[in-house]
Amino acid sequence: MKLFIFAIGGTGSRVLKSMIMLCAAGVRPVDANGRPLQDVEIVPIIIDPHKSNADLKRTERLLSAYSTIREKLYGKNANANGFFATKISSLKEVVSSSQVPLDDSFIFNLAAVENYKFRDFISYNTMNEPNQALTSLLFADYQLENKMSIGFVGSPNIGSVALNGIKDSNEFKAFANVFADGDRIFFISSIFGGTGAAGFPIIVKNIRQAKNIDAKNKAYLQKAPIGGLTVLPYFSLMESDDKEDKRIDNADFVVKTQSALEYYNNTLTGDGKNAVNAIFYLGDHGHNAPYAYDPGDKRDQHDPAHLIEMVGAMAPFKFLSMSDSELTDLATGEPLPTKAFEYGLDQDTDFVDFSAFGQETRSVIYRPLVKLHLLYIFLRTGLNGMIGQGFTEDVPKITREFTGTQFYRVLTQQFFDSYIEWLTEMLHNRRHVTLFNEGEMDMNKAIHNVLTKKGFFGSKKVDNDTFKAEMNRLSRDNNTYGSNPELKLMDLFYTAAEKIITDRYNNLN
Amino acid sequence: MRDKVVYLIIGIVASVLFWIFRVELYEALYTVNGFSDQMYNTGAYGSVAAITIGTAWGIAAIYYYLINSVKFDRWYHWLAMLGVTCVITPIICYISVSQSLEGFDYSTAEFTFEIYNILFTALTFVIASFSMRWWSSNCRHTPIPQ
Repeated sequence: MKLFIFAIGGTGSRVLKSMIMLCAAGVRPVDANGRPLQDVEIVPIIIDPHKSNADLKRTERLLSAYSTIREKLYGKNANANGFFATKISSLKEVVSSSQVPLDDSFIFNLAAVENYKFRDFISYNTMNEPNQALTSLLFADYQLENKMSIGFVGSPNIGSVALNGIKDSNEFKAFANVFADGDRIFFISSIFGGTGAAGFPIIVKNIRQAKNIDAKNKAYLQKAPIGGLTVLPYFSLMESDDKEDKRIDNADFVVKTQSALEYYNNTLTGDGKNAVNAIFYLGDHGHNAPYAYDPGDKRDQHDPAHLIEMVGAMAPFKFLSMSDSELTDLATGEPLPTKAFEYGLDQDTDFVDFSAFGQETRSVIYRPLVKLHLLYIFLRTGLNGMIGQGFTEDVPKITREFTGTQFYRVLTQQFFDSYIEWLTEMLHNRRHVTLFNEGEMDMNKAIHNVLTKKGFFGSKKVDNDTFKAEMNRLSRDNNTYGSNPELKLMDLFYTAAEKIITDRYNNLN
Repeated sequence: MRDKVVYLIIGIVASVLFWIFRVELYEALYTVNGFSDQMYNTGAYGSVAAITIGTAWGIAAIYYYLINSVKFDRWYHWLAMLGVTCVITPIICYISVSQSLEGFDYSTAEFTFEIYNILFTALTFVIASFSMRWWSSNCRHTPIPQ
C-alpha cells in the first residue's frame, strides 16, 4: 500500500520533518492488533511555492538523507524492521513509466505559479475595468503585488486561485496514474496560513473530481481513502520591524481559522460529507512562543520545531492503522463520511517529557525514540573505539574505512545533526519538549525523568560497553547480514537496545 | 560452526598427543642425568604434563567464559592471562615435582626444567585459546580477530 502524503506549506514541511524522525526511530504503521502493516510505502509530495523556505529545504535534505540511509540498509524492500524501517520514496521513484517528465525530488514543481506575481498570474492588466474592480475587491494591493515565489503570505484567497491549476501539472498526472487500488492519501496543512489552508481543499476537490482528468486510475482516485491533518494556530508572530507591513497578522489567525473551518465544514468534513474520510485537528493556542515576523521575504522562514508537529506526525500512522471498513463502504466502494479526531496531552504542562503524553502515544514513540537517541550517543561516543573488537570483527566486518562511507557520514552528520537540531528546537520552543536531557551523553541520565533500575549493587549501568556486550552476543554466529555491515550495525544495535531498555531502565508504561 | 568444532578437536588432539608423548617431548627439550631418570621413574612427567595442560586450558576457559568481558577483550589482556599462566603453572609444577622427587636434591635441575616447561605452557595456552575462544561472546576475537 502506498500512502501519498501531500505536505502543504511551511507546516506541511515541518510536520513531515517530525514524521521522518519518527520513521527513522522505527515507528511504523500497525494494524488494529498492533502488528506492523506490510508493504507500506510513503510517498511525500511537498507543495510549497516558497522554495527558499528554510523549513522546506531542511525537510528535503532530511528526506534525501533518510532515503540514502534506508536504501543502504534495506535496498528497495518495503518490509523491514528496525531503524528507518518505513520505506519513503519520491513520486519519481514510484512512477514506473517515463512518459511524464518529473524532477527527482520530493517537492512538487510549481513553476507555473512561483515565477509570477499574483497580478500577472491572473492577468490583471488585461482584464476589463469591471473585472479589475471586482478583483480589487477580493484582493488587497499587497496581495496582487505578491511574488508567489515566497508563497501566499498567509493569504488563502491567493492560494485558492493559484493552486487551482495544480491538476494540469505533470506531478499531479503522474500521481493520478500511479495511484492504485488500496492506496491512500493524506494531507498535512495548517489552516491559519495561506498555502496549506487553500491547498488542502483544492487538491481534495481535484482528486474527488478525477473523472475530469486524463489518468488511467482515476476511478480509484475518486474513491480513494483520504485523511488530513489540519493544524490550527500553534505559534504566533512577532510584530514586523516595519510597522506598515501587516501582510501577516496574529490577530487574523483565529478569524482565518474560523472561516476556513466553516468552509471545510461545508465542503469537506461536515455532516454526511465524504470528501475527506478522516480528519485530525491539532492546535495549541496560548502556549506558543512568538516566531520572528517573516512573510517569506525577510529571513526565509526558519521556524523552530514544535511539539504540535511531532504529535501531528503521528496522524498519518493513525490513518494507516484504520481498516478499509472504517474508511470505505466495502459494499459500494464509496468513501465513508468524515471521522474527526482531536488530541490532548495527558498532562497540560509547559514542560513535556514522555510522561506528559497519554499511554497510546507513549506506546508508539517512547521505545523507538529512546533507541534512536541511544544510537546517537553510541555512534558519537562509542563505535569508533570499538572498531577492531568484538562484533565489529564478525563478518561483515565494520572496519575503520566504514566510518568514512557515505552511509556513515550521512547518518552521523547529516541525519543526527538534524535530529539534535530538531530536539533542541522543540526543547526551546513553547511548550518545552524535554524528552531527553540536553547535551547529556551519559546513557544513564539521557532520558528525561527516566532512570536506570536498582540492582543488587546499586543502579544498573548503561554505557557503550553494555551495548558492546549485547551486540557481541547477538553477533556471534549471526550470518543474516550477508555483506551489509550497515544493516549489521543498525540491526544489532536496535535489537540490543530493545533488551537493554527492558532490562535496565525504569520505563514508562 | 563446523570450522570451530574442528579447531576444538585439533586443540584437544594436540593436548592429548602432548600427554602421550610427554616424556619424549620433555626429554628432547631438557635432559639431565639422574634428574630425568627420576622424573621418568616417579611418573613426574605425567603430573607436570597434566598440570600444564590443566592450568592452560583452565585459565583460558576462565578468560573466555568466566571473565568474558568487553573491558578485558584486547590482545594485551590475553597476553596478561598468558603471563599469569606462565607464572602459575611452573610454580605448581615445581611443587608437584619437588614432592615426587622428595629425598633427592635436584632443585637447580627442577628450576631449569620449569623454565623450559614455560615453553610448553605457553604453547598449550595458545592451543587452548584457539580451540575454545570461538564461543565466547566478548573475547572470541582475542588475541587476533577470527
